Amino acid sequence: MSTLPRPSTIFLAAITTLVAVLLYSPLFVPIVSSFFIISHGNVDWSSPTLSTYVALAGNHDILAALRTTLVVGVCTVILSVVSGTLLALYYHGRHSGRSILQFIIFLPFLMPPIISGLALLIFFREIGLERSLLTVVIGHTVFVLAIVYRTVLMRLQSMSRTLVEASYDLGANGWQTFWRIILPNLSSAMVGGAILAFALSFDETMITILVTGTQSTLPVRLWAMMRLGFSPDINALVALILMFTVLLCVLAARFLIPRQMATERN
Amino acid sequence: MSQNTDLLTLRSVSKSYGTVPVLHDIDLSIRDGEFLTVLGPSGSGKTTVLRLIGGLEPLTAGEIRLDGQDISRMPINKRPFNTVFQDYALFPHMTVSGNVGYGLSVRHIKRKEIARRVAEALELVQLGRFAERFPAQLSGGQRQRVALARALICQPRLILLDEPLAALDLELRRQMQEFLKSIQREIKTTFLFVTHDQEEAIGMADRICVMQAGHIRQLGTPHELYYKPNCEFVARFFGENNLVAGKLGPVQGEQRPIETALGRLVCSISDQPHLKTAPDGASAFAAFRPEALRLADANDGDNRFSGTIADLAFAGSSTVATIMAGADNAAQRLRLRMPSRIDGSILKSGETVSLSFAPHEGHLVLA
Ligand SMILES: Nc1ncnc2c1ncn2[C@@H]1O[C@H](COP(=O)(O)OP(=O)(O)O)[C@@H](O)[C@H]1O
Ligand SMILES: [Mg+2]
Repeated sequence: MSTLPRPSTIFLAAITTLVAVLLYSPLFVPIVSSFFIISHGNVDWSSPTLSTYVALAGNHDILAALRTTLVVGVCTVILSVVSGTLLALYYHGRHSGRSILQFIIFLPFLMPPIISGLALLIFFREIGLERSLLTVVIGHTVFVLAIVYRTVLMRLQSMSRTLVEASYDLGANGWQTFWRIILPNLSSAMVGGAILAFALSFDETMITILVTGTQSTLPVRLWAMMRLGFSPDINALVALILMFTVLLCVLAARFLIPRQMATERN
Repeated sequence: MSQNTDLLTLRSVSKSYGTVPVLHDIDLSIRDGEFLTVLGPSGSGKTTVLRLIGGLEPLTAGEIRLDGQDISRMPINKRPFNTVFQDYALFPHMTVSGNVGYGLSVRHIKRKEIARRVAEALELVQLGRFAERFPAQLSGGQRQRVALARALICQPRLILLDEPLAALDLELRRQMQEFLKSIQREIKTTFLFVTHDQEEAIGMADRICVMQAGHIRQLGTPHELYYKPNCEFVARFFGENNLVAGKLGPVQGEQRPIETALGRLVCSISDQPHLKTAPDGASAFAAFRPEALRLADANDGDNRFSGTIADLAFAGSSTVATIMAGADNAAQRLRLRMPSRIDGSILKSGETVSLSFAPHEGHLVLA
């Protein structure tokens, strides 16, 4: 229910629409144009086609990059969800050093990726770790940890303290309370955090370029392709990545935004 | 009922949060099988008492004894008490039967046995049909009953309830009060029930413990608290009362006079030894209930004074008059409650009347 007078409502709606169009229309251009042939740098609007996607499916480099991306993503998710949850529990338990810990967790996420990437690169060189998928996974985990940590911590903090107290009160020990009360109540936040972590890892480019060995992930591959010129399959690839990322975000939102409490039936 | 043995004893218990003292030197005995209500205004330390007994907070000083054994350092999950939390604290990811059975399943009791006892407990709180629902699908009163079933399934020695009815509307609260009482009679378990609502306390308790600012002011039956409050706080907090300040006169057997602005008032001091020993001239209050105050008749010798009726309020079965008495009939405000009459009140606003109360219906509290 709006309490604003009508003219201002219309004005607000107009501004909102304008901003939305300006922000989001660039996202739709590659999706739409991926269904058309590009000749001499111009899009040929007359004949819609799926040929760019067919070309993409036949591109072994791209398929290999996709596989790499998925492997890195899954490993990153597992590592970051486990460590992010543990760190959130540590912070929530009011142990010592919690503010410094939180600062360190957020730092790589807030710093420019090129700085994080370079720092990692130097670190790996110093400890003699060869650049490989392992270093990429470590880089991604360091980067996305803040998101998982924050998501889980927020859920922990919104969880009623009395749930834990009730569990002890009913005779449970710490271990039972953790597995049967705390973890189940965190699970949807962990799933939401995992999806966000996967989406971030899927798109991550800068750190990956710096710390990867011979294998490249999808965004890195895309980066390399673009340096050679704008080929039609780039549109298709961008469109696919875009749609996949949006899908992940929608999914994450489902887990993270509290659902309406089920109302009483009958 | 074995109501006369002490189940739990608090001895000189104090509690501070940081440097802020919250409970001062509390002594309290809870009898086996009784329904004990802790009553006090918000912030008086009721919840803290409950949390100390439940083991959710450590004591700052003193000790808690169960059957004579010191349990002050016994961990919360080992204490044979269960709590009904103010916000119910139902586990949102478990069904009603999952919630109720939790206390048994963490003790590794066999599944069949758990199912049987859960069904029994749900039957007791009349929620048999709701076993497979989740807490979010229940109404406030139903959640309340799940919390109760979950607490009593472990057969605790003592059930701790922290304002369990505060979130319910009036009608439901009445029903739940009766329901809780009937369950307590049925399972014969000791209940420690916290509330800030004195009507609730009067209606439910075997004994009431009145708290204020981290002190226990009085512990007694509702009747004792109503007719023999031991301090000004209880006299004012517990039910409507008339308090008239004055100086004590010499003891006359089971009665003692007090010189007040309304003249010399004689009040009963039976069963209140501290009023026998108080020195003459000590500051005190004469206290008498609105229903004890009445129009004086020719036979009344003691406790007679005049007052002007400032206001008359019809309250259904009774009518309440606000009366100004004392110097110039203006210094002291009193209330008088009398049964309503179908042909209208015999009192008229603005009228000056002669009033009285019987000495045995008045009592004294030290200021
Ligand atoms: N965890 C806490 N930290 C600091 N002060 C507290 C804490 N819990 C309660 N208090 C204080 O202790 C006093 C008594 O609180 P409480 O026992 O909750 O009172 P009641 O239940 O009678 O309303 C209040 O003044 C409250 O502010
Ligand atoms: Mg309280």
